[in-house]
Amino acid sequence: MSALLTGEGVSRHFGGLRAVDNVDFHLDEGEILGLIGPNGAGKTTLFSVAAGSIKPTAGRVLLDGVPVSGRSAHRAVHLGVCRTHQIVRPFARLTVLENVLVGHHYGRPGDARRDPREILGFIGLGDSTDRLPGELTLAGRKRLEVARALATGPRVLLLDEVVAGLNPVEAAAFVGLIRQIRDRGIAIIMIEHVMHALMSLSDRVVVLDHGRKIAEGLPADVANDPLVIEAYLGTETAGA
Amino acid sequence: MIRAGGFLAALVLLWISPLVLPISEYTHHIVGLTFMFMAAALAWNWLGGFVGQISFGHAAMFGVGGFVAARVMLATGLPFGLAWIVGGLAAGVFALLWGHPTLRLRGPYFSIATIGVGEATRLGATYWSGFTGGSSGLSLPLDGNPTKYELYWYGLYLLAAAVAISWWLRRSRIGLGLLAIKEDVEAAGDLGVNPVLYQDVVLFLSGAMVGVCGGFYASYQAFIDPSDMFSFDRSISLILMAVIGGIGVALGPLWGAVVFVIIQEFLLASYSQFYLGLYGALLVLIILFEPLGLTGLAARLARFSRVARFSRITR
Ligand SMILES: Nc1ncnc2c1ncn2[C@@H]1O[C@H](COP(=O)(O)OP(=O)(O)OP(=O)(O)O)[C@@H](O)[C@H]1O
Ligand SMILES: [Mg+2]
Repeated sequence: MSALLTGEGVSRHFGGLRAVDNVDFHLDEGEILGLIGPNGAGKTTLFSVAAGSIKPTAGRVLLDGVPVSGRSAHRAVHLGVCRTHQIVRPFARLTVLENVLVGHHYGRPGDARRDPREILGFIGLGDSTDRLPGELTLAGRKRLEVARALATGPRVLLLDEVVAGLNPVEAAAFVGLIRQIRDRGIAIIMIEHVMHALMSLSDRVVVLDHGRKIAEGLPADVANDPLVIEAYLGTETAGA
Repeated sequence: MIRAGGFLAALVLLWISPLVLPISEYTHHIVGLTFMFMAAALAWNWLGGFVGQISFGHAAMFGVGGFVAARVMLATGLPFGLAWIVGGLAAGVFALLWGHPTLRLRGPYFSIATIGVGEATRLGATYWSGFTGGSSGLSLPLDGNPTKYELYWYGLYLLAAAVAISWWLRRSRIGLGLLAIKEDVEAAGDLGVNPVLYQDVVLFLSGAMVGVCGGFYASYQAFIDPSDMFSFDRSISLILMAVIGGIGVALGPLWGAVVFVIIQEFLLASYSQFYLGLYGALLVLIILFEPLGLTGLAARLARFSRVARFSRITR
């Protein structure tokens, strides 16, 4: 069976810096893939390429065989790949509901997009539809970031550190949400520094370091991989 | 906010009032011209207010619309309304020609580019005397051109169209997409909004409407020359109307246009040397104290009278 999303030799250089360096990856239908690596490993850059926000220096990312990288972000969204931002970027002067409506109106064409209010209820912002993003807590804004992306009707959702920075209760709630999103038939790649969240959710984990893929496998195996431990110990300890 | 019913009622009132009220000929003409300025200011605001791309070069479209309309009337004898529309379409296409590449720039970079476009167009038009008449200008045909008296109603139609498009742009899906682009163009793209397409659409509409206004102005003056039609002052005046009235507020520029015409006709007619100083001062005051212009001021006064004590907190 061929994968839903495939990265073929993806590279992205910034000047002399190889932020992403010849990375192959794949994501299967219904899968949650964890993407980890020390700070600056190139995880967000890989997302940006897969979501069409920035062009790859080499290689490409395919959704069902159709290139989603290298053109434009909106085209990737229309094909079914949507990303969230590590530092949330709500439209500050639009209400919570209007933020979600942007994704709803402009997302993937077809019937895949669901009622924005239903999405807000699902994500836990059902009572905040008319508020401005600035009135939400950080956890609330992270929920909004995910709700907007869901509203585009994605087939693949790229979650960039949505659990980081939340307290344990909020984090646990988010873990449940992510699992439910997957159960709705959306495949997910998640970048996460919060290890227990990542380990409990991921079917498979890919590890980046200095732009290169250094390990890939089941969460438990990857956690015990000497290369991975060295990559983390060399820079920072894996956060808990 | 005035709703559709109120809008229609206002239109009907304005439509019949010159027929029943004892309005002087001069006032009648000036009000007709004001309608056109209102429409042009609204159209400028589609780009400046809704998308947040401040153009200092809209005189280019005003001039293109005016000269193309005049040439069409001279060459084909087409009715003036159709000639204006042809002029507007030409202006819209012209806007896309320079705007499609430059709209990728944002903020001050875009604005600076529009200054260049506006000035280059003015110079080009002045030198292309075969089309524009150069520094000696162009007279419109005597027959077929409407009188200032008739133009009052055509100005009203222009205004009605501009108000309707403003509402449509604000209320429709496009309006939401434009707001998203204005807030964060990259995040908008990451949710599926095509920023290039929607900015182009708005620029075309804005340029075409300002072009039609140029056609109106050509008919109104019956004589046009490039240094007036394409002047930098004209671009600035559109910004001023929008800023005075309230930039980003759908109908704010309407009131700005009224203030502008009053200043222009009644104050500056006698003291023309103060004009730049006065506008400059006005602009600085508004930006410093009331960025939402008259609309913001009105809202502030309303709030102040209701909840004086809390007005600073709620703002
Ligand atoms: N637009 C850019 N221009 C230049 N360098 C960049 C740009 N974006 C990222 N980089 C660099 O590329 C490298 C990878 O950055 P990236 O944000 O992808 O890392 P990351 O794995 O997401 O890190 P973190 O865990 O801190 O989020 C870093 O060294 C970063 O400074
Ligand atoms: Mg990152």
